Amino acid sequence: MNATKQLLQHRQPMIRFLGKRTTPSKLDHTPKVHPASPSQSLPESFATYRQKAQQHGPLNQSNQYSTGGWIGSKPGASLGPIEAGKGEFFDRAELPKRFQRLAWTQDEIEAVESGGASLRA
Amino acid sequence: MFRPVVPRAAPRSLLGPATAAQSTFRASNIYFQDRLRRGYASEAEEKDLVIIGGGVAGYVAAIKAGQSGLKVACIEKRGSLGGTCLNVGCIPSKSLLNNSHLYHQILHDTKNRGIEVGDVKLNLQTMMKAKETSVSGLTKGIEFLFKKNNVEYIKGTGAFQDENTVAVNLIDGGETSVRGKNIFIATGSEATPFPGLTIDEKKVITSTGAIALQQVPKKMVVIGGGIIGLEMGSVWSRLGAEVTVVEFLGQIGGPGMDAEIAKMTQKMLAKQGMKFKLNTKVTKGDDSGESVKINTEAAKGGKEEILDADVVLVAIGRRPYTAGLGLDNIGLETDEKGRLVIDQEYRTKIPHIRVIGDVTFGPMLAHKAEEEGVAAVEYLTKGYGHVNYGAIPSVMYTHPEVAWVGQNEQELKAAGVKYRVGSFPFSANSRAKTNLDTEGIVKFISDANTDRILGVHIVGPNAGEMIAEGTLALEYGASSEDVARTSHAHPTLSEAFKEAAMATYDKAIHY
Repeated sequence: MNATKQLLQHRQPMIRFLGKRTTPSKLDHTPKVHPASPSQSLPESFATYRQKAQQHGPLNQSNQYSTGGWIGSKPGASLGPIEAGKGEFFDRAELPKRFQRLAWTQDEIEAVESGGASLRA
Repeated sequence: MFRPVVPRAAPRSLLGPATAAQSTFRASNIYFQDRLRRGYASEAEEKDLVIIGGGVAGYVAAIKAGQSGLKVACIEKRGSLGGTCLNVGCIPSKSLLNNSHLYHQILHDTKNRGIEVGDVKLNLQTMMKAKETSVSGLTKGIEFLFKKNNVEYIKGTGAFQDENTVAVNLIDGGETSVRGKNIFIATGSEATPFPGLTIDEKKVITSTGAIALQQVPKKMVVIGGGIIGLEMGSVWSRLGAEVTVVEFLGQIGGPGMDAEIAKMTQKMLAKQGMKFKLNTKVTKGDDSGESVKINTEAAKGGKEEILDADVVLVAIGRRPYTAGLGLDNIGLETDEKGRLVIDQEYRTKIPHIRVIGDVTFGPMLAHKAEEEGVAAVEYLTKGYGHVNYGAIPSVMYTHPEVAWVGQNEQELKAAGVKYRVGSFPFSANSRAKTNLDTEGIVKFISDANTDRILGVHIVGPNAGEMIAEGTLALEYGASSEDVARTSHAHPTLSEAFKEAAMATYDKAIHY
């Protein structure tokens, strides 16, 4: 005990026990440059894509945590409604492609016109 | 909610099963697109996470995700898990390095130890078989871990259909597709080819061919004096080949290795029989004849020399592998080196698509990929992950081994950082003496003002294991005095580590 005390008087140990690891309570998920990236900035496409993808719904919240990260770990329902606000309108064509209307292909039209889809099964 | 609805009661999809579609008039990929577009009842469930690539980054992420309770699928086209590392990289090469070292030691280093051996013969086929046994045991082990952690293993080649769908060409024939809320790209890397030489993995080989040669070549030229080139060059040199390493730079080991350590290592390897041509560039190669001719000249220009070899190992580096991944379908670009661009949470510009391992930034090392696999899944499940890119060790498994972590002297000089250096030779270490294996040193570099460790560089026996202590010290932000005041067991090689730390902040006892 005394020996340790004496030792510490002369030396400032850099390794100290900081307690159990915890996840920081506030996390900033705003996209930043990867620490191993040779570049100093992210390509423009990062911001452009997010802006386009987040124009509606819960992803379009204005706080800094809305840009990803925790969104992926939550069930969609918990993020709130995706309906447009009062007096606000948007077209389905503005949504990501997978939510847009699908055009009939020639093959499907032929299948229907041939007298029934089951004929092509 | 916006999808057109096809009644579940419909007996079949409108377009029939995959086989029927393929036998008619449409290319299978178009059939696929239609089927996925419509979202028929036969469509597979959506996974929480789909991972393309079952290498170290991919399989570790898959297991971690499975442990975290995510529904996860991992797509791998090789037919066995573990990627380059397990199948044609770190693991098979270590098997050959270990066994070729034993062979070499039995041939050259037994008499003075009081061991007399008779006729020593090499059975290369059996040595290769031992390597294959190690590899297959480990890859099957990962398959078991997949089952244990509920990871769906899809054997096939994955390609993006859209931002949430990956189409898979199955190895056993046929196709399937899998949808994921999140997708990880972990497709790894491949050896960079040398312009003008055709890789046939027999005469002109990469590391893949270097672990599978059927006979010991008489003459081998290694283009590139980095870790892979020196390790594989060592193997074949020990087994009897005359190995010449041609390196463009002025030192071996690549840019990360400390210049002093690189010089010492080169001397030790030269003593073992390897020849080195540094500051030398390969201008062209001719593999049309029975042997391969390599034209070289001084890097800064000079007299040309032609090297003749039975086998040429191309080890000039690796490049990210994204061929056939369908990146165009989702609009993901790569940088000038072919790496996928990501942010600090491994996200591409499409936030639910993340990239880990060799195919993105950072050193192409299996343990770095492993860290990223865990961290990327934690970003998904907890919103927080951790990888310290400043404390990733590098190891070269020659004999003696070379290992380092943190910064080297030339980097610190260039950055204008004031530092102190302390080193300790293994020739003054008791255990190294008893092992008759005393070549090498441990070298510490610490900040001149704070004594915080900035880098640890080792060449010597067991360096690859010893560097773990240096990495831990660096990760914790330790000073050289912290390490020096920690008790190390006697007699062990690790005492050299402690003494080098002592030499950094004060003086070593035994030197």
